[in-house]
Amino acid sequence: MRRYTPYMLLTPALLFTVFILVYPMAQNLVNSFRDVSLVREGGGWTGLLNYQHVFGDPVFWLAFRNTVVYAVAGTLLALLIGLGLALVLDMHTGAMSSFAATLYSIPWVISPVVAGFAWKWLLNDHFGILNYWLSSAGIARHGTSWLGNPHTALFCVMVARAWQFYPFAMVMFIAGLQSIPAEQYEAASVDGASRIRRFFHITIPNLRPVSSVLLLLGVIWSFNDFNMVFVMTRGGPINASMVLPVLVREFSFVHFDLGKGSALSVLIFALLVTLSYLYLRVLARRERG
Amino acid sequence: MKKILLLFPVAVLALLVLLPFLWTISTSLKPLTEVNRYPPEWVSPSMSLKPYGDMFFYLPFSRYTLNSLIVASSATMLTLVVGSLAAFAFARFRFRGRKQILLVLLLSQMLPGASVIIPLFQLLRTAGLYDTHLGLILVHTAVLLPFVIWLLHGFFSGIPTEVEDAALIDGCSRLEALRRVILPLALPGLGATALFAFLGSWNEFFFALILTNTDATQTIPVGIGLFVGEFEDVWNQMSAAAVLFSIPPLILFMAMRRTFVRGLAAGALQ
Repeated sequence: MRRYTPYMLLTPALLFTVFILVYPMAQNLVNSFRDVSLVREGGGWTGLLNYQHVFGDPVFWLAFRNTVVYAVAGTLLALLIGLGLALVLDMHTGAMSSFAATLYSIPWVISPVVAGFAWKWLLNDHFGILNYWLSSAGIARHGTSWLGNPHTALFCVMVARAWQFYPFAMVMFIAGLQSIPAEQYEAASVDGASRIRRFFHITIPNLRPVSSVLLLLGVIWSFNDFNMVFVMTRGGPINASMVLPVLVREFSFVHFDLGKGSALSVLIFALLVTLSYLYLRVLARRERG
Repeated sequence: MKKILLLFPVAVLALLVLLPFLWTISTSLKPLTEVNRYPPEWVSPSMSLKPYGDMFFYLPFSRYTLNSLIVASSATMLTLVVGSLAAFAFARFRFRGRKQILLVLLLSQMLPGASVIIPLFQLLRTAGLYDTHLGLILVHTAVLLPFVIWLLHGFFSGIPTEVEDAALIDGCSRLEALRRVILPLALPGLGATALFAFLGSWNEFFFALILTNTDATQTIPVGIGLFVGEFEDVWNQMSAAAVLFSIPPLILFMAMRRTFVRGLAAGALQ
């Protein structure tokens, strides 16, 4: 009896895992080979037709490209901001610095929906404060619609996303900076290394492990991110800022084609598994090294 | 003097990074005539809390708030109960498959919502749980569970086994030991975990957006997310809703900053 106790304790949690993970994965796979519609009877097996529809859809390729740009460039931007702020905070100590760290973390704490809303309003073509400043400085014409322009929409959403993610990077970088042994700096000073040399030869190499973890985690999370794009642009204008998670909703609940949506879901999942595998390998290497 | 010189960039940076949020706060206090005015101004004499009242009156935010409270508190309680049992198993038992199950839980945290939403939608519709509080509570519980188990596992492991052994010798069963000894000792950890879970559900947008459909069940983020675009003429009321909605997460964050930051770092790196 004793032997079964842990399994009994785990049963409710495992049921939830089946509900959220195992069943949906299996059902998605089945859906993706069938004709499933939200608005009419279907259910016949269609082989690879749904996948052909996805791959034959130019919006898919656009969304794929956008998602990669959004995830990679957005994460890099967030890491740069996070590193910069971490370095600034690392120079200070005491209550003031920890209060500042708290303030800088606010974008991570508020809901992504609120973050998207705030950016959308900040960028408003007529009444947003940003356009007012830019036009006062003569940089942009007043009334420029940053989110309504296909050339700038994705970039704006990416900046907003970086704004939400950087506090996480910042906190991790602060931890990384604090774990660098002081002896390394002292030894370098004794050898007469300048501040800049110490930064590039001690600080940066020591932050490399935490950076690679952050980069992968940030890419994975941004790859999955639906909220920021949906709230700010819904993927528009004319799909210019469309990303894969928003496209799943579009296929399934706007065009009512659950089969095509499922095929896309399976593809996203395959991409994510690859990224997660890389993440686990990086973690494993960190533990060994 | 030098200290002030050093603080200056820190303060400027704070204003810069909080700019979108500060602009929303400013808007939430203005009457519409001021909101739709060019050039825009940060402060004006006609500022008041009126949009905060109007939003409950003209937009269905009282209903959304109630829905959010119901969903987030129920999901928190359910996650804590289910999560404690599982975390107890991981912290106190060595059993076959332990590592594999932990790995599956870890991986399900990476789960893309978009990859599971269609079957969940179909399942909830078949079960009559689409557009109900219960449906969303179950989904949020499932989504939050891995992280909660992982956090609780840490807290439970920190409690020395001797305390529990004493209870077992006194004739308690393992479950009684969990309830009478471990849980009370882990109370601070349980509290922190509860806050994480509550915030996770409170802020969650994607599942709530797709699995609910009417005012009777939609939560605040869904209200804000959907109204952007539809109710653009009332930016001040929408801003008020966004600010008010952010207050619970902000208070909790300020109060629990240390645990929060530690959990943040731990959740990603272990």
